[in-house]
Amino acid sequence: MIFNDFIFYTLAAILLFAGIRVITTRNPVYAALHLVLAFFTAAGIWLLLEAEFLAIALVLVYVGAVMVLFLFVVMMLDINLDKLREGFWDYLPMAGTIGLLMAVEMVMILSGKYFAPTTVASKSADYSNTAELGRVLYTDYLLPFELASVVLLVAIIAAIVLTLRDRQDSKSMNPAEQVLVKKQDRLRIVKMDAVVETPSVEDPKADKEKS
Amino acid sequence: MEYIKTDLITALPELTVLFMAMFILLLDLFIKPKNRIVIYGLAQFTLLAAAYFTVVTYNPSVGYAFSNMFVDDPLADILKLMTFLGTSMMLVYTRQYMQQRGMFRGEYYAMVLFALLGMMIMISGQSLLTIYMGLELLSLCLYSLVAFDRDNARATEAAMKYFVLGALASGMLLYGMSMIYGMTGSLNVAEISSALLEMNTKNPVLILGLVFVVAGLAFKFGAVPFQMWVPDVYQGAPTSITLLIGSVPKFAAFAITIRLLAQGLQPLAVDWQDMLLIMAVLSIAIGNITAIAQTNLKRMLAYSTISHVGFLLFGFMSANLNGFASSMFYISAYVLMTLAGFGMILLLSRQGFEAENLDDLKGLNQRSPWAAFLMLITMFSMAGVPPTLGFYAKFTVLQAALQAGFIWAVVFAVVMAAIGAFYYLRVVKLMYFDAPKDNARISAPVDMQLVLSINAAALLLLGIMPQTLMQICGVAIVISLQ
Amino acid sequence: MLENYFPILLFILVGLAVGLGPLVLGKIVSPHKPDSEKNSPYECGFEAFEDARMKFDVRYYLVAILFILFDLEIAFLFPWAVVLQEIGLAGFLAMMLFLLVLVVGFVYEWMKGALEWD
Repeated sequence: MIFNDFIFYTLAAILLFAGIRVITTRNPVYAALHLVLAFFTAAGIWLLLEAEFLAIALVLVYVGAVMVLFLFVVMMLDINLDKLREGFWDYLPMAGTIGLLMAVEMVMILSGKYFAPTTVASKSADYSNTAELGRVLYTDYLLPFELASVVLLVAIIAAIVLTLRDRQDSKSMNPAEQVLVKKQDRLRIVKMDAVVETPSVEDPKADKEKS
Repeated sequence: MEYIKTDLITALPELTVLFMAMFILLLDLFIKPKNRIVIYGLAQFTLLAAAYFTVVTYNPSVGYAFSNMFVDDPLADILKLMTFLGTSMMLVYTRQYMQQRGMFRGEYYAMVLFALLGMMIMISGQSLLTIYMGLELLSLCLYSLVAFDRDNARATEAAMKYFVLGALASGMLLYGMSMIYGMTGSLNVAEISSALLEMNTKNPVLILGLVFVVAGLAFKFGAVPFQMWVPDVYQGAPTSITLLIGSVPKFAAFAITIRLLAQGLQPLAVDWQDMLLIMAVLSIAIGNITAIAQTNLKRMLAYSTISHVGFLLFGFMSANLNGFASSMFYISAYVLMTLAGFGMILLLSRQGFEAENLDDLKGLNQRSPWAAFLMLITMFSMAGVPPTLGFYAKFTVLQAALQAGFIWAVVFAVVMAAIGAFYYLRVVKLMYFDAPKDNARISAPVDMQLVLSINAAALLLLGIMPQTLMQICGVAIVISLQ
Repeated sequence: MLENYFPILLFILVGLAVGLGPLVLGKIVSPHKPDSEKNSPYECGFEAFEDARMKFDVRYYLVAILFILFDLEIAFLFPWAVVLQEIGLAGFLAMMLFLLVLVVGFVYEWMKGALEWD
């Protein structure tokens, strides 16, 4: 148990450090990378609690996908940090007071006797957290599970409705259309009487002035 | 398998809305833009079908489905029917507006139906998890609908504010829920209530959870001091979306408040009564006083919403069945008034022109006595002038609060309502006694004119004969909460 | 149970050591004489023309968010695959409905052309 405690405190310390760096670092890309570190250590803590599926899902979904999006957005927005920080000192007294008040309240309540550590019985080696989750997720929690798919669908629609634009300046060609084109589509044969150009007999000087 | 079959029948209206929304989404890909009216018809048909299934599966007792996560009681059925009616009216009002602004697209109707699904789940939510999922579904749809007119910088800004503050509110609600779950060991509201009865309710962790839950709810309602998003979003969003945000989701917000506070956390009523009292009094004061200073009609109605939410909380505050029933009556009246109010703004707007300033109402009586009269009824009802619906609604909630012993708060509310009457009556003065600023003809589709007239007539008639609606609310609350 | 993860912990520690070791060694052992010219950024011998970070096209965002959504969908499939034998037909149908809803989303984005670059 002592060894587990040691690992827990190491991970927790790294998590706190990374979390603080996320909000204090000046460069948003570094902030995003620190967030990755925070997710990794959080996954480690979940592993310590024997919640393997959540730990892997955290790495897979958050580190693998959400952070990629974060980095894209950070790079897409081209944020001017100095401008963002403009009002910082004006808001600090108010926000700081409220933040401090909330922090004190939460420490008073959450560190108390209500969250005393209890020993959890160790599971046998073939215990599968993932299977346990699966057993309830698709039966007892059927409704929230299906709702999750609807929420994802709405997210797809919203992302497309809000960001997809037909590009007006696109020069791309459709090869299928190019191949299917027939002679009649492109070539128009117009019957005309032949016009014979009579050589002009005018003064070449005047001709030059015209042009 | 058998249990799933009964579950599915219980959730038939929800399934109808889900599948029709998906169908509309796909159909829109294959339909020519000039035939889009079919999509509109399908959306209305969906509402009708869902209402039909709700009525057919109605039974006057309480039924559960999906491992007790979903409840089908008279309260849910009646709120759902009201939601269908409100959504249907909203679709009628907004059709021309959306057509004229190039937003008449299949996604709009699909999103509205998905939002409706979210509201229905919230209304029937019996577990903290389903309530939260329904709320997220609704909120996600509303955020993107606010930004639907994406080249409009104002709307985008409003959507951004709405999204950031809404996400914060969801986080608070979720945090509070997790505390309550941690203390009671259950997600089901009925089990939470029975667990609370057996434990010490002075437990500070429970109170912390309660504070966060109430803050989250207040955010979604837009009660002071969580009201800051309301004016900006109401003003910035396209009027049709403002109409949606301001009206039917309030039914769902009412429902989850009932589920969470009245069903789940009733043993903590002593604590949340005080919180609601403070929010109610502040909402009425700030809503009514700030509204006086507004020149933008949408913004004024936003502050009016805040004050209405204050009155609504008066009903909740009494924490008894009578109070909840009066709140339900109030919310029905509020939604009808909001539909009429924003419906009028849509009626006066036209291609390239938004009738959103108070000055745009000047001399409306000379331009169209009919429109002016509808607006007159709506404004009287919002101000609470007898014999309109708004008067009776205010009367019942204040009466319930009075019976629960909140005498000074009621006196304060009456004074504030009198102050608030000023800005509603100013609108009436502008319409009847000022010279018109623009003389464009008011043109609206016949169905919109008809529904808007019925809407305004309902405000008048239900005010004169409120007994039936009051009875429905009372019965729904009594059966569902006992 | 947790003991089974001990090799992974060792692997992480060794990996960190191998990664950090050369950096630390380089910092300690190598000569260190910075000057302003050495530290200034340059492009092929020229002064830097512009900020290295530039705006990304919003279309990257669309691709990334669609990726996340389907990544989440996959995350739901793992526990399902593990217990499919136990949860029976009802569990199977539950996942089919879940997938149906997301397939609708997929068809929508395909037909809208959200998967095409231009």
